[in-house]
Amino acid sequence: MPLFDYSLLLTGKYHDMLVAGLWLSLQLLAASLVCALPIALVVAMLRLSPLAPLRWLGFAYVESIRNIPLLAHMLFWYFGAPELLPEGVKQWLYAGHIEAYSAIVALSLYTAAFMAEDMRSGIRSIPAVQFEAGRALGFGWLATMRRVVLPQALRVTVPPLISQTLSLWKNTSIATVIGVAELMYQAGQVESATFRSFESFAFASAAYLTVSLAITALASWYHHRFPVRTL
Amino acid sequence: MRLNILAAALAASALLAGTVAHADQLADIKKKGELVVGVLGTDEPATFIDPKTRQIVGYEVDLANAIAKKIGVKTTLKQIAVAARIPELQQGHVDLVAAGLTHNKEREAQIDFSLTTFVTGQKAIVKKDSGIAEVSQLGGKKVLTIRGGTQEPNIRKAVPTADVVTFDTSQQAFQALQQGKGVGYVDDEAALLRSYAKLGPQKAQYVVLKQNLSTEALAIGIKKGETGLKAVVDDTLRELEKSGEAEKIFVKWYGPNTASGFQTRDFKFESDKID
Repeated sequence: MPLFDYSLLLTGKYHDMLVAGLWLSLQLLAASLVCALPIALVVAMLRLSPLAPLRWLGFAYVESIRNIPLLAHMLFWYFGAPELLPEGVKQWLYAGHIEAYSAIVALSLYTAAFMAEDMRSGIRSIPAVQFEAGRALGFGWLATMRRVVLPQALRVTVPPLISQTLSLWKNTSIATVIGVAELMYQAGQVESATFRSFESFAFASAAYLTVSLAITALASWYHHRFPVRTL
Repeated sequence: MRLNILAAALAASALLAGTVAHADQLADIKKKGELVVGVLGTDEPATFIDPKTRQIVGYEVDLANAIAKKIGVKTTLKQIAVAARIPELQQGHVDLVAAGLTHNKEREAQIDFSLTTFVTGQKAIVKKDSGIAEVSQLGGKKVLTIRGGTQEPNIRKAVPTADVVTFDTSQQAFQALQQGKGVGYVDDEAALLRSYAKLGPQKAQYVVLKQNLSTEALAIGIKKGETGLKAVVDDTLRELEKSGEAEKIFVKWYGPNTASGFQTRDFKFESDKID
């Protein structure tokens, strides 16, 4: 077993490649999170809507996305979906960072399905009388949700959402299959150039672990700072 | 007491590891009666699965069989992934690696190489309507290739400003080219010509750029320090060259009547040195 070569990780072009990969992974995390949250909120509301067709729509979204592996989503949004676009849009898109865009679409839609379920649970945990009180005050369905139920429900939902963020962070690594130069991809590149597999994947593992622990710490901090209010 | 047992166990395992590491691999191969060769099995015509017989055949298989015959054992082929070639060899799961392995300086620190068994240029293919006629024009453009080999570092070296995107298999990368997700696709000449041939009538829309990105010397990988095994491998290759068998094997898989369509063989099994 060759000795562990720290110099590979601390300086030089392989170090730069790994750091660039980590940075891109963090960008994927941020972009996907920003897109997933509003989608999740809309889907959660759909699933609780008083109108049956809207409920079915929400149900179909959650179940169809949740029951297909993320890998398949990635390949679909890269190799499949963009091919259906009109020629002009396609060329414009393909000239840009189509790999990263496809990954963000796949990650956002996938994560949103799980987050929607957490939000729905959060909303359902708010006693029905709160909703009824809102309606009694003359608010419509949406206004009652927005002014009375959601402010309480989202507070309950934050810890599970942070936990979904943790999954999202680890899932960014799947983007490697469609050529996105994120952390796992760069670790693989460094490995094939140098055959120092142990060092490059040790860097990647340490980076994933560090960010994951930071997200976990955030969850536990939030839990203490803003405990769930009970009636 | 418990500590003593632990110490004894440690000493025993260290001793065992020591003997395994120092045993001569050639003697082991003779003892077990088989030469285990790691191949890709997806790299026509070097190693691929014959659709009729479901057996792995190809150029590198013929070479592996010649080496096994020389040692006097049977060949056992084991399919491995591109990125797993060196680890499998180092951990002793395979005796040799004949898997489109490029011999380069960086890898010499990890394993030993046989005489060069194949010399290939890496080339780029582009869509005709891109107007690209030279490799240097790929600068600033998106170029697609397979991951884990030397294609990627070579295109970066040849055209530092190219935006290189890599995939797990050459089929995926080539599909991305066909969908227009990049202007160029880079691969070993033999593999590239084969993908090109598969395009059929669509061939007219593509151009294979003449200029080589690099010259690659492929060789058989041998675990570091196994001098006995390396000597047998190299001797076999020299004998194949001398008897004219090497030329025949080349023509069989890469010659004018194959999809690769090489007119001449521009290299010989003679050296294990690279530039």
